[in-house]
Amino acid sequence: MAAKVVGASAQTNGNTGGHLMLYYFVPGTSIFGGIKVAYQFVDALNALGVPAVIASPGASAATWFLSHAAVVDSEEVRKTFRPEDIAVFSLPHDYPSLRTLPGQLVFHCQGTDPLIDPILADPAVKVLTCWRQAAEYVKARGVHDPLDVGISISSCFAYTGEPKFEYAVACMPRRGAELGEAVRRAYPAMRYVVIDGMREGEVARVLKHSSIFLATATHEWFGLPALEAMSAGCVVVSTPVLGGMEYLEDGINCRVAEPQDFTAAVGELLQERSAVSRFQMRQAAIATARRYTTECMMQRLSEGLDGPLSSWRRRA
Amino acid sequence: MKTRLCAVILSRGLDEMLRFCLKNFFESAEQLSGEIEAEAIVVDNASPRPYLGTSFSDRRVRLLRFDAPTGFAAACNRAVQKCEAEQLLFLNNDVFLDRSTLGQMLQHGCDADVGVTGSWLYFPDGRVQHRGVVFGNDDIGPYHLHRGQYLEPRRPLEAFQAVTGACMVVGRELFNRIGGFDESYAFGLEDIDFCLRVRQCGQRVICVDAGRPMHFESFTPGRVEMDVSSRRLFMERWRGKYTIDG
Repeated sequence: MAAKVVGASAQTNGNTGGHLMLYYFVPGTSIFGGIKVAYQFVDALNALGVPAVIASPGASAATWFLSHAAVVDSEEVRKTFRPEDIAVFSLPHDYPSLRTLPGQLVFHCQGTDPLIDPILADPAVKVLTCWRQAAEYVKARGVHDPLDVGISISSCFAYTGEPKFEYAVACMPRRGAELGEAVRRAYPAMRYVVIDGMREGEVARVLKHSSIFLATATHEWFGLPALEAMSAGCVVVSTPVLGGMEYLEDGINCRVAEPQDFTAAVGELLQERSAVSRFQMRQAAIATARRYTTECMMQRLSEGLDGPLSSWRRRA
Repeated sequence: MKTRLCAVILSRGLDEMLRFCLKNFFESAEQLSGEIEAEAIVVDNASPRPYLGTSFSDRRVRLLRFDAPTGFAAACNRAVQKCEAEQLLFLNNDVFLDRSTLGQMLQHGCDADVGVTGSWLYFPDGRVQHRGVVFGNDDIGPYHLHRGQYLEPRRPLEAFQAVTGACMVVGRELFNRIGGFDESYAFGLEDIDFCLRVRQCGQRVICVDAGRPMHFESFTPGRVEMDVSSRRLFMERWRGKYTIDG
C-alpha cells in the first residue's frame, strides 16, 4: 500500500531518511567573510557527496555571494538533531549551546582569538583549520591536531584581462578606516572605491578594474578580501596580519607596511618609477591567488574525506 | 529484480501529443528493458473530451480521471498514491523523450546522494528549453538557465538547486517522505518548491545530458495565467531562503 501523500506545506528541515546530515551553524546573513567561508565549505562538501546544509536563524540565506547551499532553520535543527548528525560552527559563542547536542561537534577555525581556547581544550570537538597560522595555534593549544581543509576564493574574482585604471584604489574601511583616510588625504587625486556592503559580483567587478587595494585591518586573521583583490589583479598594500602572512610577500606580490608607514608605502607605489614593480607584483599576486582556488580546496577536502573525515561520506 | 518506474503524465486534451509522449517514453524505457519495468499513469485533468480506457492500446498505461481541473501538485500526488513503483518520472505531455534519456537519468538518479534528476530539454528548433534552474537576486527568483540559447552540454551532469518538473525522476520513498508536491500552488513552481525541500534534506538535485528530449512548453490552454499566483506564493514562502546562483 502506498504511503499517504498529503501535500507539503512547510520546509523540510532535517528530514534525511536516516542518513547523517552535516549542519553548518551560522549566526545570520551579514556581509563578513566567515559567513561566505561557511557557505563555500558546504558547497564543496555537497559537490563531494556529503549531505550538508547551512543552519541559519529563520532559514535566512545569505544572498550577497554565489552559492548553491541549501539553508534550514537553525532552531528547528536544534530540536531534531540526532546522534548521527554533525554540527559545524566557526563562532566561539555558538559553542556552549551546540556542545549540548547529541552528535559530532566540529569547530571550523576561522580565527585565533583566545576565546576559542576552551573549544580547543574539549576532546570531543574535532577541529578544522583554514590556514597555516590557525593550524599552528590549534596545535599549540588544542588537545587534537587539526585537519587543514583550506580556504578558497570565488572564481568570479579571477582576473581575466580587464583594463586596469592606474588611479583607482579599492578599499574596505570597515576596520582600519583611519589608515584609509590618511591615504585619501595624502593622495586626493586618486579615485577611491569603497567595497563595504557590496555584493560579491560587484566587488569582483570593482577589483578587476582597480590598481591598488588597501587592506587596512591591523588585526585581521586571514584577510580574505585582500586575497580576493590579489586574484583580481590588484596590488595589495596591507598592514601585517596574522594568518594572511602565508600569502603576503612584501615586495614580491604585495606591499606590507606597519600602520605608521602605510601612507608612505602607498605613495611609493604610486610613483611613475614604480610602474614596472606594480606590474610584477600584480602578476605575482595573481599567481599566488591560484593556490586558493575552489579546486585546490576541494582536493584537500577530498583527501580529508578519504581519511579522517571518512565517516562523513554518505553510505549507499 | 527489475526496478519499477512509473511515469506520471498530467494531460488535458492534446490527445495526439499525449500519444507521442507515451510512445517516446516506452521507447526510451525499452532501451533498459532488462533493468526496469515501466508503466505510466495518465492523469486526465478534466479534458473536455475525456480519454477513454481504450484510448491507449498499451496495457502498461493506466488512466486516472479528474472531472474538475486540478492543480499539478494535487493531481500528481494522487497519481503517486495509485502506483507502487520505486522510481517516479514526472513528465509533461508535451515532452518527447529521446531513446537514451531514461538510461541517462536513471544511471545517475539512483545514486544514494541524488534526490531529483532532471534532464536537458530542447525546443523543437534546437534551442535549450531547460538545463537546470538557477536563482537570481531580489525579484528575479528562479529561472531556467540559458533558456532559448543554442548550447551543447559540456558535462554529463551538473548539480542545481532545482530542475523543472516537466521531466523529473525522483525516488518514491523520498517523494513520500517530504510530503510530495505542495498543493498550495495553483500551477507552476511546485516543482521548484519540491526541489528546494529535497535539498534541505541533504539530497542533491542534478540535471543530466540525456540525448535530445524535446519540450514544446505550455501548450495547455490557461496554463500561463496560473503562473502568476504560484509565483507570488513561491516568493512569499521562499524569498530570502534560497541562495543566489544565477
